Amino acid sequence: MSVGYDQVMADVLNLLNEVSDDWEYSGTITPQTGLLSDLGFESLELVILGVSIQEHYKQTIPFPEFLADIGERDVPDIYVGDLVEFVHQHVGHAEVK
Amino acid sequence: MNTVANQTVLIGLDGATFTILDALMEEGVMPFLKEFVASGARAELRSVIPPITPPAWVSLTTGRSPGNHGVFDFFRPVSPASRHIQFTTSHDIHCETIWSIASRNGLKVISLDFPTMFPSPAINGYVVPGGWMPWRQLRLGCYPSDLYDRLKALPGFNARELAMDPAMEEKAIEGCRQDEYEDWIELHIRREQHWFEILRFLMEHDRCELTAILFDGVDKLQHLCWRFLDPACLGDSPTPWERHIRQQGLKYFRQLDQLLAEIVAMSDRDANIVLASDHGFGPTAEVFHVNTWLQQHGYLAWADTQASQQQQSEALGIAKIARHVYELDWDRTTAYAATPSSNGIHIVVADSENASGVPVRDYHRFRDQLMASLRGFTDGENDDPVVSQIWTREEAFAGPYQGLAPDLTLALRDGGQVSILSSDAPLKRRQEAKGTHRPEGVFIAGGPGIRRGASLPQLSILDVTPVLLYCLGLPIPEDVEGDLPTELFHESTLRKLPVRGGEPTQVGVAEQGDRDQEYTLSPEDEAEIAKRLRALGYIE
Repeated sequence: MSVGYDQVMADVLNLLNEVSDDWEYSGTITPQTGLLSDLGFESLELVILGVSIQEHYKQTIPFPEFLADIGERDVPDIYVGDLVEFVHQHVGHAEVK
Repeated sequence: MNTVANQTVLIGLDGATFTILDALMEEGVMPFLKEFVASGARAELRSVIPPITPPAWVSLTTGRSPGNHGVFDFFRPVSPASRHIQFTTSHDIHCETIWSIASRNGLKVISLDFPTMFPSPAINGYVVPGGWMPWRQLRLGCYPSDLYDRLKALPGFNARELAMDPAMEEKAIEGCRQDEYEDWIELHIRREQHWFEILRFLMEHDRCELTAILFDGVDKLQHLCWRFLDPACLGDSPTPWERHIRQQGLKYFRQLDQLLAEIVAMSDRDANIVLASDHGFGPTAEVFHVNTWLQQHGYLAWADTQASQQQQSEALGIAKIARHVYELDWDRTTAYAATPSSNGIHIVVADSENASGVPVRDYHRFRDQLMASLRGFTDGENDDPVVSQIWTREEAFAGPYQGLAPDLTLALRDGGQVSILSSDAPLKRRQEAKGTHRPEGVFIAGGPGIRRGASLPQLSILDVTPVLLYCLGLPIPEDVEGDLPTELFHESTLRKLPVRGGEPTQVGVAEQGDRDQEYTLSPEDEAEIAKRLRALGYIE
């Protein structure tokens, strides 16, 4: 079953909103939200997020790839939209849980 | 089902050692434990090599050795030949756990705060993972999926204090300022209470045949506060502040003793209770900068970019445990230590990506020379070798996953863990003693069928799974490596419930899923991932 971009966006936002409620994040998470700058994610939290996305789609995703050149950017960050784009590239034929 | 008891309770005490517990029982700090030990059985519990948390708990809960279950450290290489590493997760456990064995035999299970449990296995019961599970994502690790919301509704629930706060954890690794010790100890007193409240909630609402909880504050306190907890280190004239911190540490153990008493009280009247630690503890007074030693002996070279890379890593706020990847000159490095926790040395073997590594045909000669050189290292003041023992990969980790383990694993003369950081000298004295792991942990058991007042010879950590299975009335699968210590039980119990061997364990029942397909990356994928991880900083 093919997973569309909108579905991936909804899934990722749902995942982030689900956890951000637990630490009472007051902002609205959008495709422009920065995982490091806005949500304050640490590396371990990015790992957990990546594993959780893989669990959801039951598919191995080379998750760290979406962090392309992060260390070389002027403002190192990962935006939700970038993440969704990357995930969508890898779950086109995923079976959704 | 014919069982020794209707309920088996496993209480993990991370890092617990009789060195401390015996003294606290004697001093009256842990009166319940003293009574429990007297009414049950005890033994020293031999951990795995090296005695560190992830492989030790996985061995305790599988009855399998690291070479067979595949967990060796907090991290694992991306692939056997890779110099890049990533965090260990439950996907890296390649043997069936006690949680799964009990579940597929129709028993219900509670598993609280055990490490390497994320992603949580779909067991017949409840999982709240521990270890390196960030508090902000704890929800994602709870099983079943509605469990977190049920816990969140509990009075006093505090995820931040319950699970890992990365910033706080870093502080603990780096060390506390004097004025932070008390808060650190108080945090762990509250943390254990939080875990206990979850256990109480689950036990009151759903009786489970296998109920397990891990208290990890024992390890955390002993790392930081060993010199206050071990009377031999405290000395005859401690300062008022040292006495105060010792009292705070004792406060933690008093509370732990009360929690143990309450757990036993909440359990079935005829429950079997097993207390076990993953490893023991002792003092360390010196630091072996193993990569500096390797550099001085021509095995390792630092990259010129070391300083800038460190800065980048810190700017990203990343844990900096395994920074070797971008701090080394790989064209001039043939051996290196990747993590401070594993006490392991990896040998760079030449292949298409590492042309400057050790040729395969020279591997054993190279390794023998390196071992001989390490054994000859002394501090110059006497002939006592700094490295007291060296295991090759085949000796320490025989099994299908040994390729993921370090080529050499070291034991140091003071029981300490190596530093992987560069230094102006390979061996330095610590300003003050710290606590570090030892192989000798604890095993204490009590309940129906278990002999009263028995003191057993040393057990292997692999023996705990057979004990739990026997108590649960389950056969012991033939591929479980641990042995059931029959001397733990009354002869009448053994006659009534003979030990049964069983079919091999099943991988893939609850934990494994389709994970075997994981990490089957092409070299190009791996190189790309490594680049991203390096940029992010969690491969270091």
